Amino acid sequence: MSGASTSQSPPPMASISDVSALFQNAKKYEELNVIGTGAYGTVYKARDLHNGGQIVAMKKVKVALTEDGIPLSTLREIALLRQLEAYRHPNIVRLLDVCHGGQSLERDQQLVLFLVFEHVDQDLESFLKRAPGPLSQNIIRSMSFDILSGIDFLHSHRIVHRDLKPHNLLVTSTGRVKLADFGLAKTYDTDMKLTSVVVTLWYRPPEVLLGAAYNTAVDVWSAGCVLAQLQARAPLLPGASDSDQLHCIFRLIGRPPRQEWPENVSIMLDSFPDYQAQDLGKIIPRTHPHALDLIKGMLVFDPAKRLTALDCLQHPYFTEEPLT
Amino acid sequence: MPYWYYDKKDLQNTPSFRDGISTDTENRYRKEGARFIIDTGSKMDLGYNTVATGVVYFHRFYMFHSFRTFPRYITACCCLFLAGKVEETPKKCKDIIKVAKSLLTEQKFASFGEDPKEEVMTLERILLQTIKFDLQVEHPYGYLLKYAKCLKGDKPKLQKMVQMAWTFVNDSLCTTLCLQWEPEVIAVALMFLAGKLSKFEVLDWNGRIPKHTAWWDMFVEDITMELLEDICHQVLDLYSPQPQSSGGDSPTGPPPAKVPKNDKKPLSVTPPTSASPVAAAAAKAVVTPNKNGAELKFEPPKLEPLRYTYPAYPGLAPPYAGPYAAPPPGLAPRLAPPPLLYAEPRFPPVNVPPPNYFPPLPGRGPPPPGPPPRPYYPPT
Repeated sequence: MSGASTSQSPPPMASISDVSALFQNAKKYEELNVIGTGAYGTVYKARDLHNGGQIVAMKKVKVALTEDGIPLSTLREIALLRQLEAYRHPNIVRLLDVCHGGQSLERDQQLVLFLVFEHVDQDLESFLKRAPGPLSQNIIRSMSFDILSGIDFLHSHRIVHRDLKPHNLLVTSTGRVKLADFGLAKTYDTDMKLTSVVVTLWYRPPEVLLGAAYNTAVDVWSAGCVLAQLQARAPLLPGASDSDQLHCIFRLIGRPPRQEWPENVSIMLDSFPDYQAQDLGKIIPRTHPHALDLIKGMLVFDPAKRLTALDCLQHPYFTEEPLT
Repeated sequence: MPYWYYDKKDLQNTPSFRDGISTDTENRYRKEGARFIIDTGSKMDLGYNTVATGVVYFHRFYMFHSFRTFPRYITACCCLFLAGKVEETPKKCKDIIKVAKSLLTEQKFASFGEDPKEEVMTLERILLQTIKFDLQVEHPYGYLLKYAKCLKGDKPKLQKMVQMAWTFVNDSLCTTLCLQWEPEVIAVALMFLAGKLSKFEVLDWNGRIPKHTAWWDMFVEDITMELLEDICHQVLDLYSPQPQSSGGDSPTGPPPAKVPKNDKKPLSVTPPTSASPVAAAAAKAVVTPNKNGAELKFEPPKLEPLRYTYPAYPGLAPPYAGPYAAPPPGLAPRLAPPPLLYAEPRFPPVNVPPPNYFPPLPGRGPPPPGPPPRPYYPPT
C-alpha cells in the first residue's frame, strides 16, 4: 500500500489478515481421532463445539489453488453438494458444514477444505465383519433398496459416485444405509492424490478398468458387487490387480462378445481366455431368485444394457412383497 | 444449513450499523456495490444469473462484516469473480479488476491497494467462509418467466408486463429484498407491480382452482396484500430521491461523531404502512419537481443517477449480444422486438415520479387522469 493512498483512505485491506482470525475453524471443531485415510484425504472424528459437542465426521481435502484461486470445478462440486443437502435424502449422508483452514494451513498454493458430515458409527464393511451370521433376507433387501435409492437420487442430480464400496456405505444404528464420499470427483482429480493409499478394485466396473468412457452405469455395477456381498458376506470379485480384476469379472460373467468390446481401448479382447458365464446362484447360494436376477442385471458388461438404478428399484425383488 | 433471510430488525442491526455507519449510508453502500457489480458484469458480458448471484453474495457478506472493514468495491469485484466461477461463466480476476478500474474513480480504486489481484484472491477465501460455501443461489428471473407462462390476458400487455417486471427484478438487486424474501415471493410482487403499472389485467390463469383468489396463490401460499405492497415499495423507493447521507463516500474514514445508536430514524426501505405504497412513493417524490418549478420538468435533486445499463429482459434487448440475448425459455418466440428503452440512456438519468405518477393499487381511490410518460416505460 502506498503512503499516499493510506493517508487518504485509511486501512483499506490491511485488516483482511486480522479478520481471518475470526474464522477459527480449529476452534469450532475439536479433532478427536482419525477415522480413516482415503485416497484423497483424511477423515477425522471431531466434536462440534458450537453445537453442544455433537460428534461429526470431518473430511479434510487439499485443493490445489490455481492462478485464479479456488478451481471452478471444486466450487461447482461444493455448490452441488450444498444444493443436494436441501433434499435431505434419507440414504445420503448429511453435509453439515463446509469451511477452510486458516491462512497458516495454506502452503504451496494449497487450500485445506473441511467438509463436515454427520457422524455414522459404522460402515458396511465393518458391519459385515461384525455380523455374527448370515443377514436375514429382510435386512439384505432393505439395505439393497437403501443403496439403490441413494444411487438413484445422485444420478437424478447428475452425480456419478464412481467409488461405491462397503467402506463408504454407512450403516446407522437403525440399520439404514447412507451413501458417503461422493461429489468431489473433479476436486480429487487435481493431482492431490495420496499415492501410498491402495484403492480397492473389487467394485470397479470393466469399462473403468479398461479405461473406456463411462457414465452412471458404473455405480450400478459397483452396487451389484455390494448386493452380492450382502448375500455372501464376502466380496464377489476380489481381484488382486487391474488385470486380475478383469479376469475375475470375465470368469464370472463370461468373456463379452466382440461387438460389445469398447472401441479405442488398449487392452485386447483376445488377451482373455474365452471364459463362459458361471451360474451366479452357485457362487452366492441360498439367495432369493429375484435377488439373483437383479444382481445379474446389474453385472452386465455393456453399460448400455445394464439396469439403471431406477430399473433396479422397480425390480420384482423389491416390488413383489412390500419392504418392511 | 445456513439460513439467509432476515427480518427488518436484523437488517437494521448490521455489523456496519454497530460499527457506526448509519442505516441510510449502509443502504447507499449496498446500492452502490450492487450497481457496480451489475455494471461490471454487464460490461464483461456476464449473464444476468451470474450478476445476480454476485450481488446476493455481496448482500450476504455484509450481514457478517462492516463496510468499514471491507471496502465495498473490492468486495463487489470478489463477489462477481466468485459468482463467475460458480455459474460456470468464469472471468479472469485481472480482467475484472481492469474493468473495475475503468468504472471507478482513482480515489475509489485506491481501496484495492498495491496488488489488487492479491487482495481479491485473499478476499475470496474470506467471502467463501462468510457465505458458508452456500454458493448456489436462486433468482426471481426463472420464476418470473414460469409464472408469466400461466397467465392469460392481452398478449402485448403481458409482454410489456414481463419486460417491466424483469427490469424491476434487476433493480431490486440494489435493495436488500434478497435478504428478506425468497425469489418466488419477489417475482410475484414485482409482477404484481408491473401488472399495475402496465395495466395488464389477469383474466385467468392455467391451473386455476376455485380456492384461488389470485394467480399467485397457485405458486406461493399466504401472500398478503401488505407484503406485496411492502416489497413493491422497497423497489419504488429506488426511484425516489434518497437522503444524501452524512456517511461520506468512504466508510474507511473516521466514524461520524454521532453514532446513530439512538437515531431511531425509520429505515429508508420501510414504507409508510398507512397509505398505498404507490401513492406514498408518488407523494414523496413530488417534493423536488414542485420545488423546481411549475412546469413538469423532472429536475432531480442531487442524487446519483440510476443508470439503466443493466440489460432488460433477455430477448428484448438486442444491444446485448452476450448471454443476455438468450431468449427466455418458451416466451421468446412470442415477443416482439423491444422498444429499446430499457437499455438506452436517452431518457433523463433520474426518474422522479410526478404526483399520481403510478396508478393506485386496487381499491385505493379513483384512477389518475392519465399518467405522464415514464422514462423506463415505453410510451404507447
